[in-house]
Amino acid sequence: MSAPLLRVENLGIEFGPADAPVKAVDGVSFAMAAGETLAVVGESGSGKSVTALALTRLLATPPARYVSGAIQFQGREVMTMPAPELRALRGKQIAYIFQEPSSSLNPVFTIGYQIREAIEQHRPEVRDVRGEIVRALDLVGIRDAATRLGDYPHQLSGGMQQRVMIAMALACQPNLLVADEPTTALDVTIQKQIMDLLRELKSKTNMAILLITHNFGLVSDFADRVVVMFRGKIVESGPTAEVLRHPQHPYTRALIECVPKLGQKQRRLKVIDYAGIN
Amino acid sequence: MNAPVDESYSQRLARRFSRDALALTGFWLIILAFVLAALAPFLANNHAIVRVADGQISFPVLRSLEPIEWRFLINVPLAGLIYALRRPLFRNPQRGGLIVAVVVIVVQIALAFVQPYNDVTNDRTRPATFKLMPLIAWSPLESSPDALVGPSWNHLCGTDSTGRDVAARILHGARTSLAIGFVSQVIALGVGVTFGALAGYYRRWVDMVICRFIEVMECFPSLLLILVIIGLSDSQNNMIVIMAVIGLTGWTGTARLVRGEFLRLGGQSFPQAAQALGAGDLRVILRHLLPNSLGPILVTATFGVASAILLESSLSFLGFGMQAPTPSWGDLISEGRRFIDFAWWLVFFPGVVMLVTIMSYNFVGEGLRDAVDPRLQVK
Ligand SMILES: Nc1ncnc2c1ncn2[C@@H]1O[C@H](COP(=O)(O)OP(=O)(O)OP(=O)(O)O)[C@@H](O)[C@H]1O
Ligand SMILES: [Mg+2]
Repeated sequence: MSAPLLRVENLGIEFGPADAPVKAVDGVSFAMAAGETLAVVGESGSGKSVTALALTRLLATPPARYVSGAIQFQGREVMTMPAPELRALRGKQIAYIFQEPSSSLNPVFTIGYQIREAIEQHRPEVRDVRGEIVRALDLVGIRDAATRLGDYPHQLSGGMQQRVMIAMALACQPNLLVADEPTTALDVTIQKQIMDLLRELKSKTNMAILLITHNFGLVSDFADRVVVMFRGKIVESGPTAEVLRHPQHPYTRALIECVPKLGQKQRRLKVIDYAGIN
Repeated sequence: MNAPVDESYSQRLARRFSRDALALTGFWLIILAFVLAALAPFLANNHAIVRVADGQISFPVLRSLEPIEWRFLINVPLAGLIYALRRPLFRNPQRGGLIVAVVVIVVQIALAFVQPYNDVTNDRTRPATFKLMPLIAWSPLESSPDALVGPSWNHLCGTDSTGRDVAARILHGARTSLAIGFVSQVIALGVGVTFGALAGYYRRWVDMVICRFIEVMECFPSLLLILVIIGLSDSQNNMIVIMAVIGLTGWTGTARLVRGEFLRLGGQSFPQAAQALGAGDLRVILRHLLPNSLGPILVTATFGVASAILLESSLSFLGFGMQAPTPSWGDLISEGRRFIDFAWWLVFFPGVVMLVTIMSYNFVGEGLRDAVDPRLQVK
């Protein structure tokens, strides 16, 4: 692997009182190469979103505390980066698709206006901003994009809001896209459409993707490597095929077994037996 | 409800506001009130607008204007003119800037030479070949022999206990009341929004300090605080002091409201999404949080205008407000109160004017609130 696009080392993040902290992220290290897709899996509350937000220091302090770690993006240290540089990094270099589409758009501006702002801020060289907005919306499968530009977020369905968020993130043409469960609000066909789109963009632009998901189907289809998080720690990582075929950690094994497989008869879904882990 | 494609915030505001008949009526009434107040000397004055006598034509009303009125009546249209001509003027920015600077400086120098002119002649009675009197041919301070007469053609709103024309006094008083209501609320809004935004955005010790400060401010009965400040400032006739004092004591409610709205909105993820796209603190505050909390802020601001007008009248009543010669609406009502048993017009007309003004402000406020929130359906 050449010089990594992103390198996270010993990242530690706490919440709550200093004497009894909640260690949301505890000694997490990983690296990503340009154009690579890394999946982060793990149960709810395992620290996936917190890790993702920390990449551009988006967590509000307080309540969060960055207790340890270094984050290098393209060789530059994010943890000590001055604010203006950090702002230039966000969006332009690292863009996010958030978990909650419904409250991630500003309610009082039209979606066209919001995408316009993102484009104007990060790609001032674009001449035909309007055409670019329409293209961005077309790309994520919003039909009649030109007539929907004037819609306010509340006039869109949850799935459409999520697609607008995705369009906005992609319109910035980032080097790293952090997608926090980008397809949870979407139905299966749209989900496939979006993932195909991401795959296509990835191959065209060499954009790296950090994909946070619960969906092992997506992981096996899409990710080059997997990181498994459990209670704030990385318990397992490696190339996707390997991890899925030979999970080392009992938690990973349990997680994979919990996914119902098509065509396989099973009376009951498996439930993770926490007593057996650790 | 189809919005034009990617309209901006202000375009939507204008589009939705202009559909609200009540708010629009209120808006134009307020504009009308401000215009009438600005033109008061031309509407209520015992100097003729045009007078022809001994074969000479003169404009006595112009000579009755105070220097400050000259400055206002020249500078406001001048500013409007410069604004209207900004495109052709500033096509060449250097030349445009030079022209504007020269014109403004020349005009200000000329205005500095305007002398107050104490002209006691009365064109109503002075014979002339031709004269065009203002609509109300009385000056606000001029006493007629008919004290306490009811409305008539001669005195549209009657006269007060010293025979002064109530209509003329209402018109001239509008200047004080409107200016105090508007300016003091702009001050209160500016201070309140700033403090509230800082507290609600940065939280922690900033919030702590600002909240304690607000509580301290609210501990004082504001009227008492105002009286003390005005008492100490020994410039009782200074309208600016009164505006500032009302504004600087009336911002706490706005600050609390803004803080609360910011805290509420901070819980949603769009401010964080904006940061993730590279927005700085100022941008998040001005573009994301403030536009989303504007509705309730505007409504309280318009109520604030009403309470500022009322507060000024309480001050006048206690002898701490604007002193004569310029009566405010509050003065008129508190003077008229003593004669209310038999001279209803003394309280009635200023009261109606005040009521209409305050209601107009409230309609505008509610119209703006409905217009800022795209989720509310406009009628
Ligand atoms: N603002 C906060 N204040 C306090 N604790 C927090 C905050 N945000 C996150 N945490 C804690 O950090 C831990 C990790 O949360 P995180 O959001 O990263 O989980 P996640 O892996 O993304 O889960 P999910 O799959 O449900 O999105 C949780 O224990 C959570 O309670
Ligand atoms: Mg999460």
